[in-house]
Amino acid sequence: MNPAINQPSRTSRAQVLTTIGFALLILVPSVLGFANKFREFILLSRGEVDGVFAITPVVNYLLASLGFFCLFFWAIYHGMFRDIEAPKFTMLENERKLDEEE
Amino acid sequence: MEKELPRHADLVDERLVYWHFMAALIFMGASMLGGLLMALQLLRLNPFSGIELLSPGRWRMIHTNAIAYGFIANAFLGGLQWIVPRLTLHKVYNPKIPGLNIGLSWAIFWAWQLVVTATAVGLLLGQAQAVEWGETPIWIDPVAQLGLLLVAINYIPPIAKVEGPLYVSLWYFLAAFVWTFLTYAMGNFMPQYFVTGTAAGAVGGLFIHDLVGLFVTPLGWGLMYYFVPILLKKPIWSHGLSLVGFWGLAFFYPLQGIHHFLYTPIPMFLQYGAVISTIALELVVASVIFNFHATLRGSTGALTTNLPIRWFYSGMFYYFLTCLQCAFQVTLTFQQLIHFSDWVVGHAHMVMFGVFIMWQLGMMTYLIPRLLKTPWYSQRLLEWHYWLSFVGIGLMSFDLIILGIFQGLSWSSLLPWEHSLDLSIPFWAVRTVAGLLMIAGYLVFVVNVVQTYLTSRPAPQKAAVATA
Repeated sequence: MNPAINQPSRTSRAQVLTTIGFALLILVPSVLGFANKFREFILLSRGEVDGVFAITPVVNYLLASLGFFCLFFWAIYHGMFRDIEAPKFTMLENERKLDEEE
Repeated sequence: MEKELPRHADLVDERLVYWHFMAALIFMGASMLGGLLMALQLLRLNPFSGIELLSPGRWRMIHTNAIAYGFIANAFLGGLQWIVPRLTLHKVYNPKIPGLNIGLSWAIFWAWQLVVTATAVGLLLGQAQAVEWGETPIWIDPVAQLGLLLVAINYIPPIAKVEGPLYVSLWYFLAAFVWTFLTYAMGNFMPQYFVTGTAAGAVGGLFIHDLVGLFVTPLGWGLMYYFVPILLKKPIWSHGLSLVGFWGLAFFYPLQGIHHFLYTPIPMFLQYGAVISTIALELVVASVIFNFHATLRGSTGALTTNLPIRWFYSGMFYYFLTCLQCAFQVTLTFQQLIHFSDWVVGHAHMVMFGVFIMWQLGMMTYLIPRLLKTPWYSQRLLEWHYWLSFVGIGLMSFDLIILGIFQGLSWSSLLPWEHSLDLSIPFWAVRTVAGLLMIAGYLVFVVNVVQTYLTSRPAPQKAAVATA
């Protein structure tokens, strides 16, 4: 068996720190941006007539994001992020077995 | 006891993968021919001058549609037919179509070729829909929409059967099936039937960019997260980080298309929002590129010895360049200079060919010999294909990007329009040469594929002996 594949599915400290770093860098501005969009959307719907046509793209965005927001929480509650590094080892191991049998 | 896996032969329909790739290559030829004719038109060397059926505006649309829906979509469908069953260990849904005696996968194959061919014919006959990137004639739109629905119906069930956490490629594919369906509907039907004026412009902007970000990008990254680890024979550096990239794309991407319409009557807060979300997306891109380079660490020799890996990482090199470029070009200040110039054309070519097509050609380079059970006819021709494509797209992109700056400077100086045309001619000549290099690379690849196919077929005497 390939030793590179046969590794415990534990996450190294560097991986954890990098992931958290990127997550904060990405998700914090994302949440702020989303909140700002939503505030603008409410202001718009209160009567700024000139900008009403902008509702179409904003609604598109809100619907798409809402779907992914729900999917995100579904994934959390179904353990999709538990043992987060495991799928990368399973995938390689399955590939090796499939190739052997081919 | 170790769980027994299904056999590869029971999971993957290799013939279908192969024919999707062949169809992709045929449409790539049509697209490149359209690109060459357009390049000649810009040099005032139009060979079909005066023939309405072959007017430049029409073959330009064939150039873009054939590459997006003919090459890229076919190559992705072939790739999905290989990857999804192997990653999920379940066959694709593929129910029998009543009355046709074929499965859904083959029905999708034939329907998709029909959609793309009908689009080309419709465009030549002047029936284009007035939506950028959505020029598909309106009578084809419902068929294409149905095709995308069938793709989702065919590929989502095996992913839904997976127990436990999903591998990142499957997250990307799952999202792409939903996004592509919604994006196509939004871009083709809303401006046609439901919204008008500036709102239609805003929706058009979303559509243009969402086609890149929500159709091509998730499928492209899905491919990369699958092929790079198996070719390097080691796992991706951080699966957690790859998921951050996926969710970042999901939340950031949908609103940035309006950056195509800066300085228009669309409300400024939407324009600013698009600019900010585009720049923010660069952080997502950085996380993905970081992850792949961390994976390559210790295996850089593969860049010289493993051609598919070289295609993949060359595509990533252009991906980094094009995203970096994007972060600058979406700012209002930068737009003042480059808006409507050939900078944008250079950027688009670098994204579509330099990134996604290079990844798909890498995938074909890896899979075609496996599908034919025969080594490549010529490694030297493979090297020629790579270098002609890599140099050709680099030359074309940088040539057009630099030209865009000159054009912008000419226009902002309020010089006569003809001045910008005169200065463009030498750059357009270089662009034609670059295109010819890419076409040469394509022809070399086609010759190699045909020869490999011929080698893979048993000689008549051997076949007769085997039959006896």
